[in-house]
Amino acid sequence: MNFSLFCSALVVPCRFSNTLATKLVERHRKSKLASHTREEAETKDTTVLTAPRDYKFVYPEFLPDPTWWKRDRIREKLEREDMMRRRSVIEIPEFYVGTVMAVESSDKYAPGKKNRFVGICIQRGGHGLRAGFTLRNVIDGQGVEVQYDLYNPTIIRLEVLKLEKRLDDELLYLRDAPQEYSTVPFDMEPVVLPPGIAVPINTMKVKLGPRPWHERWERQELKGVEDLGLPERFYKRAAEVAKPWQKHDLMRDYRLAINEDETEEIMTDVYGKMQGIETQQKLRRRQGPGPAK
Amino acid sequence: MAAPMKSVACLIRGTCFLQNAILHDTRFMPRACTHLQITRGRRRTCRPPSWFVRTRTKSHHLNQQELTAENKGFLTEYVEDFYTKKFEETSPLKDGPWERHEWHSHTFRTGVLAVKIGVIPQWDNQGRKFHTTLLQVLDNHVIRYVPPPVFEQSPAFKSHWRNRNGPKYGSVVVGALSCDPQLFTKEYNNLFTEAGVPPKRKLTRFIVTPNAAVQPGTPLFATHFKVGDYVDVQAKTIGHGFQGVVKRWGFKGGPASHGTTKWHRRPGSMGGGREKSGVWKGKKMPGHMGMDWRTLRGLKIWRINTKYNVLYVHGPCIPGPNHCYVRIMDTTLFYRKQAMEDQPPYMPTFFPEDTGDSDLPEEIVDEKLFSFKEPSIRYEEEASTTKKAKR
Repeated sequence: MNFSLFCSALVVPCRFSNTLATKLVERHRKSKLASHTREEAETKDTTVLTAPRDYKFVYPEFLPDPTWWKRDRIREKLEREDMMRRRSVIEIPEFYVGTVMAVESSDKYAPGKKNRFVGICIQRGGHGLRAGFTLRNVIDGQGVEVQYDLYNPTIIRLEVLKLEKRLDDELLYLRDAPQEYSTVPFDMEPVVLPPGIAVPINTMKVKLGPRPWHERWERQELKGVEDLGLPERFYKRAAEVAKPWQKHDLMRDYRLAINEDETEEIMTDVYGKMQGIETQQKLRRRQGPGPAK
Repeated sequence: MAAPMKSVACLIRGTCFLQNAILHDTRFMPRACTHLQITRGRRRTCRPPSWFVRTRTKSHHLNQQELTAENKGFLTEYVEDFYTKKFEETSPLKDGPWERHEWHSHTFRTGVLAVKIGVIPQWDNQGRKFHTTLLQVLDNHVIRYVPPPVFEQSPAFKSHWRNRNGPKYGSVVVGALSCDPQLFTKEYNNLFTEAGVPPKRKLTRFIVTPNAAVQPGTPLFATHFKVGDYVDVQAKTIGHGFQGVVKRWGFKGGPASHGTTKWHRRPGSMGGGREKSGVWKGKKMPGHMGMDWRTLRGLKIWRINTKYNVLYVHGPCIPGPNHCYVRIMDTTLFYRKQAMEDQPPYMPTFFPEDTGDSDLPEEIVDEKLFSFKEPSIRYEEEASTTKKAKR
């Protein structure tokens, strides 16, 4: 046991002085002195294939919250197991911001106790079981957005109607754009992509409506928006409050993301389990939709 | 003459100190939970209680510096060997467990000392979302049982724990997280000789009735509780240090501008004149905030993971940050306790033999909780039409 490390682990600020350092908890979990709660060392299967590099973009919610004081190995593991169980029951397809989707969910108050909503995904986020996404559509001339939890058990079916990416990470500016940009027909037929093709990127540029807006879009580096056509003073102010150095801040990146080694570890685990689940789903698809659907 | 007298006095004091240390219970919890005097506000003291035992050796890391890596390795190996063997040979459990009694509604069982490891959402059978806190029961052992007549002598004993027949409650000391004994003083390590377990990082005490006495050395598991049970949870809140009234009590402070000078976060007027005469006791003022014991009562256990000894307890607001210690015990709420009669808990605690030949499943899930293995939730249509028809 490294005792100097041991001592250093105990030095914590007063705010957290009633807590154990993460290292210390880990050590106790694996300690030989822990008689009945000791974890057995996991035998790593070296034959397991490593996950493809894009896996963390396909399943981003499997990466845990990077906030250091919220992290715990066992909690993350248990959470991931729950997610896997849910994924083995319901097919959660690959989707991105900009993808057109349909969600069928149980609704106590809807006629037929079911609700189907079609829309364009404008936001996706959250970690673990908290993961969620937002769909936007225009219904009867009124913009409607619905937020869904990805692992909510009331979701009956998730369907991707048109798989594509957009130029931005969030499409919240569609709220300030003319309605035709976020209108999707409810009876839209799914667009089938040829197998083995990369996810297409829609490079459409949106022309926003006149101000006032929900946010100061000129201050965000949006790629999917046409020239905003604002007076010079807006851009001047935007340049003043901009933080161009942030993209060079390595420590900030480190704090706000799970590091590469851990990502690989998690994604290998996910990859191993998802392969089994995907083959099951293929079998189920061949058998055709069940009577419940 | 004076000098020998002094030394004798010292000696006596010294022995008393040791006796106290061994007979009475140890530090931490009793001070905060059972020895708390009812006073206005909070009792804050730096003075150790009478039974205090110095835990950490002062010169531990200095001694370690003198050792070579080889010697250090040898010592850790020896410690592991010593305690695993000792547990087999000299554990009090070897004589067989104590007699087990029936549970009734006046029973106080021992609790467990867990570590909070995070909050995750779960859904119930009806598709309602709520948050659960995950508490891991790590390496818990019963260190000592003090029967009521002995516990009565302890300064921690409260007078209302006595009735006509004498004291009602004894105490059980529970320890969590086994450590290398080199870290601690001899006095502290001696506390664990009776239980035959390695010294623990944290000790805590629970009040128990004599029918729930547990033998020292008994391991405690997460399955000490059953799924669907209601528990009380005690932990220390996050510390904020010395804070002003705006953060501590949510006062409004003063305006930010319009000529305000030095009046942004001040408490304002404090006391009235005339009969009110001055500042009243209990006035909300700046002071130390947080790092204080809080109890949440009647939280449901939704789910238990037996592999990692994790309890899924209802609610996102269990006090303290991640990886803080949490005391979990059976609830004292009257109706909840009565309801426990339908499903009496393990007495005095769960033993692995209780399940018989079959092993416990890895996940035990409450019947009202949505298990992720099940298909999606669907609401039945008939129920609503009949409702409408009734209207």
